[in-house]
Amino acid sequence: MSQEIILEVKDINKSFFGVQVLHKVNLEVRKGEVHALMGENGAGKSTLIKIITGAYTKDEGKIFWKGKEVEMNSLKDCQALGMACIYQELSVIPALSVAQNIYLGREPKRGKTGLIHYKKMNQMAQELIDKYEFPLKATDMVDSLSIGLRQLVEILKGLSSNSQLLIMDEPTASLSAKEASILFQIIDSLRKQEVSIIYISHRLEEVYRLSDRLTILRDGRNAAVLEREEIRPKEVIQTMIGKVVDESAGSKKTLTQNTKEAALKVEGLTRKGFFEKVSFEVRRGEILGFGGLIGAGRTEVMRCLYGADKYQSGKIWIEGKEYIPTSPKKSIAFGFGFVPEDRRGQGFIPLLSMNRNMALTNYDIIKQMAFSISSKEEVDMCEKMIKKMDIRPADPQKQVGLMSGGNQQKVVIGKWLVRNLKILIVDEPTAGIDVGAKDEIYHILEELAAKGVVVILVSSDLQELVRVSHRILVMRKGKIVKELAEGTITQADILEAASGIESQEEVAG
Amino acid sequence: MNKNTIRKLVSAGLLIVLILVFTISSDYFLTFNNFMEIFRDASIVGIIGIGVTMVILTAGIDLSTGSIMALTGMTMANIYRYTLLPIWAMILAGIFVAILAGLFNGLMITKFSLPEFIATLSTMSIFRALTYIISIKQNGLITSQALKARSFITLGKSSGGIYYVIMVFVLMAVIGQVILKYTRFGTYLYGVGSNRKAAQLSGINTDRTRALAYMITGFCAGIAAVFMTARLQSTTALLGEGMEFNVIAAVVVGGCSLSGGRGDIIGTLIGAIFMATLDNGIYKFQINTAYQLIIKGMIIICVVAFDSWYNNFMDEISRDKKLKGVTGE
Repeated sequence: MSQEIILEVKDINKSFFGVQVLHKVNLEVRKGEVHALMGENGAGKSTLIKIITGAYTKDEGKIFWKGKEVEMNSLKDCQALGMACIYQELSVIPALSVAQNIYLGREPKRGKTGLIHYKKMNQMAQELIDKYEFPLKATDMVDSLSIGLRQLVEILKGLSSNSQLLIMDEPTASLSAKEASILFQIIDSLRKQEVSIIYISHRLEEVYRLSDRLTILRDGRNAAVLEREEIRPKEVIQTMIGKVVDESAGSKKTLTQNTKEAALKVEGLTRKGFFEKVSFEVRRGEILGFGGLIGAGRTEVMRCLYGADKYQSGKIWIEGKEYIPTSPKKSIAFGFGFVPEDRRGQGFIPLLSMNRNMALTNYDIIKQMAFSISSKEEVDMCEKMIKKMDIRPADPQKQVGLMSGGNQQKVVIGKWLVRNLKILIVDEPTAGIDVGAKDEIYHILEELAAKGVVVILVSSDLQELVRVSHRILVMRKGKIVKELAEGTITQADILEAASGIESQEEVAG
Repeated sequence: MNKNTIRKLVSAGLLIVLILVFTISSDYFLTFNNFMEIFRDASIVGIIGIGVTMVILTAGIDLSTGSIMALTGMTMANIYRYTLLPIWAMILAGIFVAILAGLFNGLMITKFSLPEFIATLSTMSIFRALTYIISIKQNGLITSQALKARSFITLGKSSGGIYYVIMVFVLMAVIGQVILKYTRFGTYLYGVGSNRKAAQLSGINTDRTRALAYMITGFCAGIAAVFMTARLQSTTALLGEGMEFNVIAAVVVGGCSLSGGRGDIIGTLIGAIFMATLDNGIYKFQINTAYQLIIKGMIIICVVAFDSWYNNFMDEISRDKKLKGVTGE
């Protein structure tokens, strides 16, 4: 890595509606380095990136590209300089092919006819795919690809323009462990080719693995810039949030069998094309973790349990009695709570206030006055939750869509806690949430389990899985392939089972 | 086989079934002349359908096409009656007004962020009202206005038994399909409709793409108006009333998804012929017009219901395959 500075951002100030969100922020990226950018939600990372890419205009400050001052007014400016941004939200177009997506807006043309040279374009795309050994074909339609593969298309798009600086915003958020490790290899090889990368992630272990330097933001200010040898996990977290969290918990753990009787028993549950013959038990007061790669069928099992999807065969017993989930409504009345994977899309209604969101699933227990709902009770309920969950801002009328990810998730979980819960299913509860809020959510789950609620945790975050679960089931390709119930378990155990390293013999036989 | 190809075969299959039913039940149906009549009617719907396909690909809708036709017709009638401009200039002026109308739609939708449905619902009545305002009155009554210049009415005629409008339609359909599949603009249309945010992030000017789709629709409606009035040798303020319904029906029957990103001109061509065949057959059967509308309405409902079922079904199949594929490794 050279010492040459490719991008320098100096003394950036930015305010929204009179609230200053960035205070004299600096960022310096060297040629060929992976520069991590960390900070809690709301620390100003996204705002800073949007200013660099020209999506927002800065109030004050300067941006230098290879030593020259530049003005960023649009995405095009930033692309013209040789920067590409890989977004957290997928920005690929399902209706187009892989090649069409990669070269969107830059399609090679047939001479002067203005017609797209498909043969050439597909060839170029395929060469690019082969170069990085992605499991894709240039002519694949994106709508037939899994979410993880779509993310790879997104990355290819960034790589295709010979960018000298790639900005990756939570690139592994929707990748399976295997896909993520492919990405890490790619990042390593890009580094060798002198491509600089700004890497934003909440997953600390990725940052330690990848980054050459690290800039930490806190409350819109530069908190620290660390060289590789100065990066120490605990200190980083402390710098980020200013309080002590034990990150080392969660790399391994010793489990003991819970011997209570099963509160929930599932036998031979099958939904064609999604999962097959899934059987498991959960005991009262247990947190059962579900590990596996994206697309292993975990979410689908949970949706069937909750009554959101239909299944073809199998039986479910709850506290000894057979239970047939037919609709979420029935399941809620029975004592189910469900925190879906896609928080923004399925977890809450962005335009409604916090108290309305909480009331939505609880209208059956809110007192009705004649034909109208007691709004006082609605607000009371919400305020109780705000206190219990420490939701900020503590304003029941606040639109949930305007809150930070961590607080949104607290609302989603909180709305179930007012009920007499028997079973709580949480699917990727902390994806894209900052460390502090994560911790609080773990405590809530533990508290619930201690009270005797059955908690099922689906998570792709291995650390989280090991740290929170009392027992872990690993799914792979629609089947439960491994139970980790006793003894010392590590993240590696889960990963091996999930990616099928262990079951090689079984397949061969 | 590609899922869109199968979907098109379904449309084509439906069309063949429809033709068979009419052929069996009427001696007059399967004749060269009758078929040319069907194609002639399909061409008007189809020409507008080319533009509307583009609009629907961007997840938009255009309800104002019938009114744009009327406005175009009446503009030409005014020029014909009150000026000495040559016929080609009259036609150009008509089409120019149609393009302006489309541009107006596009600007309302992109610059003022109006929902497509509301914007074009409003302009549907605005353009129709403008037509009434500029229509030529005699004794205070709006009458059908003659457009009888010889060179003009030729456009409504045929050569070798094939109407000129059919030739123009085929030519425009080919150009339209090439634009969709082989140009950047075409790719952008799919992109904007399938995931607008992503398209924006890829540096596509989504506003310009969308506005252009409405302008093209205006242009297409103008062309359709020229051939329609040439055949009728006159125009009225009611020209093209209800046309938007037939056009949207044709596009939907052809496999365009109203949520954007799926469909093409070949599908719309099949859809347009389907709708014209239906009209023709119903007419030959001498079924009451009210029933005719019911049948058309039901067909749209069935096709859209089929589409939503079909998409789920295909998704399920591809998922099945994926799972089988990996477990059988």
